[in-house]
Amino acid sequence: MIVDAHLHVDDVPALGWKLEAAECVRRMDEAGIERGVVMTIVDAPEVNPLALELIVDACAAYPGRLEAFARIHPWYGDESLALLERAFALGFKGLKLHPVSTLAHPAGEDTLRLIRAAAEHNAPTLFHCGDEPLTTPYAVAQAAAACPDATIILGHMGGYFHVDEAIEVAEEHENIVLETSAMPYPGKIREAVERIGASRILYASDGPACSPRIEVEKVRLAGLAPDAEALVFAGNAVRILDGVR
Amino acid sequence: MDELGIDRAIVCPVKPRGYHLGAANEAVAEAVAAGAGRLTGIARVDPLLGDEACAELEQALDELGLRGLFLHPWEETFRIADACVDPVVEVARQHGVPVLVAAGYPWLAEALQVGALARRFPDVTFVATNGLQLNISGLGQIDAELALADNENLLIQTSGVYREDFLEGVVRRFGAHRVLYASSYPLLDPRLEIRRVQWAAFTEPEAAALLGGNASAVFGLASEPDEPAVDEQ
Repeated sequence: MIVDAHLHVDDVPALGWKLEAAECVRRMDEAGIERGVVMTIVDAPEVNPLALELIVDACAAYPGRLEAFARIHPWYGDESLALLERAFALGFKGLKLHPVSTLAHPAGEDTLRLIRAAAEHNAPTLFHCGDEPLTTPYAVAQAAAACPDATIILGHMGGYFHVDEAIEVAEEHENIVLETSAMPYPGKIREAVERIGASRILYASDGPACSPRIEVEKVRLAGLAPDAEALVFAGNAVRILDGVR
Repeated sequence: MDELGIDRAIVCPVKPRGYHLGAANEAVAEAVAAGAGRLTGIARVDPLLGDEACAELEQALDELGLRGLFLHPWEETFRIADACVDPVVEVARQHGVPVLVAAGYPWLAEALQVGALARRFPDVTFVATNGLQLNISGLGQIDAELALADNENLLIQTSGVYREDFLEGVVRRFGAHRVLYASSYPLLDPRLEIRRVQWAAFTEPEAAALLGGNASAVFGLASEPDEPAVDEQ
């Protein structure tokens, strides 16, 4: 079984990106993926006040295949918090934050408030964690330190240039989980398993634009032991997703 | 290469422990000589060294048999669009060889910076690594397409590219002749990198161009084995 912890559904004409649920599922099928977690590219309430509905409709179209993460802009105070609570009422399984699109530091008070609210539901917060300011492992680790009861997922596990730092902060903070999407080094997945254990690493693709099939191949090329690979491909994601209340 | 069915490869000098690149160019020439015709080497120089860099490149092309210029703005710390680069590119132009740029690095080798250099030398073929951008949000892709649109003499490699649909889009918009498969080995894993081409939505002729035909044309391998799979490392 494979669970893809990071897929996108959205329509962003300004970027020329149209990412449909049907394409997510087609590419999941192509790669042998049973369940996928979908989220938007932009945030609610701005720039898309209906971002939650977009994801609700996507999941409803593919029952049992797609789970939902809510992408919420932290700047809107109580409105942001209310949107997140509404998301959990609708069955969402986590919070997604992309500080490049929101200009909200991972350890800013607005952001921490959302992370703690998600943690009240035993739900994870998935950060875009790459090479840009506001998204680096050291920056996101500040949030992990401030919210030790929250599960903090480092999406892309540091991107191109910050992978070693992602593994380092995961060693320091037990509540950090590394997520493999788009990061181009299979050997670093193996290194991460050796240093922090297999139980805090998630397979993901950042599809459908990134190829889930290639991303699956990347994990296989890491050459993990079968039990570790099973955790990375599905066991950890199922534990996290099914633990949300 | 054998494991993946790769016939030919373009090899570049890595950053040597010492400051000077001459020994690294000589090592590449030795590797080419020992490569049974499967390796083609290109020369790396530091444009900040001025006349010394030009002389080094002349020697590498004329005496060592290397077949192109490799520039690494990140590791040598120069801005690819800076005027200091022009003299070494002029040497490449005079010899009719391509220029490979380690691209996508912030501040020094961004897509539009590479494009600015390519615009100054319209009769030189520039090949940019990493699809001209290293950004795992995809935020560099618009600049990459702008640079490609402005410069017919600018091509990209597939190594490490974020989002395979970017590669598909470049082929659709600019033609398959603008994209070359590359692994950037040993930094990246050829077993994964080759899948970006093999598993993308390309036609057979497009895939053949990306996997070998384009590199053969750019690096002058036409007299070598037919339609080789070429890895630019």
